[in-house]
Amino acid sequence: MADFLSNYSIQKWLESCPQGYLEDTVYGHGVDEREPEDLLQNEAYREQQIRTTVQLIAGERCALAASSGLVNAAPDQASKTFLATQTLDEGRHVEIFTQRLYDLGVKPIDLESTIKAYVNPHLGKFAEVLLEKIDKKDFVAGVVGQNIVLEGMAFSVFEMLHAGAETSNPKFARTLSGTIADERRHVGFGENRIGELIRRYPEKKPEVQRMQRDMTKHMLATFHEAFARNGGPTEARASAPQKGKPGPTYQGLNLAEASNEDMEEALSATVLKEFKTRLGRIGLDYQSPV
Amino acid sequence: MMTDPLELPSGGRRPRLFFDLEETGFNEVPKRFRRFYRRWRGAGDKLGPNEALCPVCKVVIRSTKELRAGDRVYCMPCMSRLELVEEEGMLIAKVIY
Repeated sequence: MADFLSNYSIQKWLESCPQGYLEDTVYGHGVDEREPEDLLQNEAYREQQIRTTVQLIAGERCALAASSGLVNAAPDQASKTFLATQTLDEGRHVEIFTQRLYDLGVKPIDLESTIKAYVNPHLGKFAEVLLEKIDKKDFVAGVVGQNIVLEGMAFSVFEMLHAGAETSNPKFARTLSGTIADERRHVGFGENRIGELIRRYPEKKPEVQRMQRDMTKHMLATFHEAFARNGGPTEARASAPQKGKPGPTYQGLNLAEASNEDMEEALSATVLKEFKTRLGRIGLDYQSPV
Repeated sequence: MMTDPLELPSGGRRPRLFFDLEETGFNEVPKRFRRFYRRWRGAGDKLGPNEALCPVCKVVIRSTKELRAGDRVYCMPCMSRLELVEEEGMLIAKVIY
């Protein structure tokens, strides 16, 4: 049973999402919004944005595979209905971030080769750990991996990117705000569904915690490589539109001026703190990968 | 029919304050429920006596009545059912699983 889902319906999803915050949007942003001209003219900054967007596509492809796989693993109809709407959310995320690559000048014929060239290998390992549980139709581990670990990470990454784009790139910020709204439902499902299930199946705890530890290890490696290799962001930001202005902040950091190490530390600390809090609430102990 | 997210009024003591709720621009739930929620504006934001912060999705839940310890509220954006408890003089929302 999933009592918290008793009021959830595809009708409510329609009224909240396509008829709510996505109304009048095209690929998640306003009809007249475009990538800023100074971004498109600055090759280093454009490449950094392509690299970042590729990681979002890779993460969302993993989420799409996981949420669609979980539909058939779910033990009750209410969870299947929720996961059906989440599957469409994730499919939409893959599409809007793919469209962003095209808006940044990537040709459709070069899509897969661009993803292959820029994707972070640690992100692939992160996805493998999760998809192995999905393949085994392990609903409890799958929901923890997908809706708490992956979505919890996405929630913080999107908030950081949103803070950085809010003034310099309203189009991308709008795209991100729609995905953040979707993530609220996804993390809510994860916490509420697992909070209930883990009390019923406490014997699942060690295995789920091991998976969380492995996923966390690959997530931290992903962040490390992303901030170390991202063009790097410091050089790219040197000519980025927000440089020298009061600037966007995230967790007290000026994103236009912060070093790569500071940004990595701020993001990792935020995500890990959220993991610990969230896992603690549902009765799981956070496992450090170190 | 609009449903206030406050589910269980607690009895006794001073009568509760009442609040008129206006639209806040929050658009992540069906129209008829939107005035009961607003976005959390970060560290500098302050909760009113009729507001609670959802710990799961960080949305502020608003009620037409003053909130007190023991009240239960519903966070529609993430579907969490919450109970308010008092800790160190502050009202904290705890998830009911």
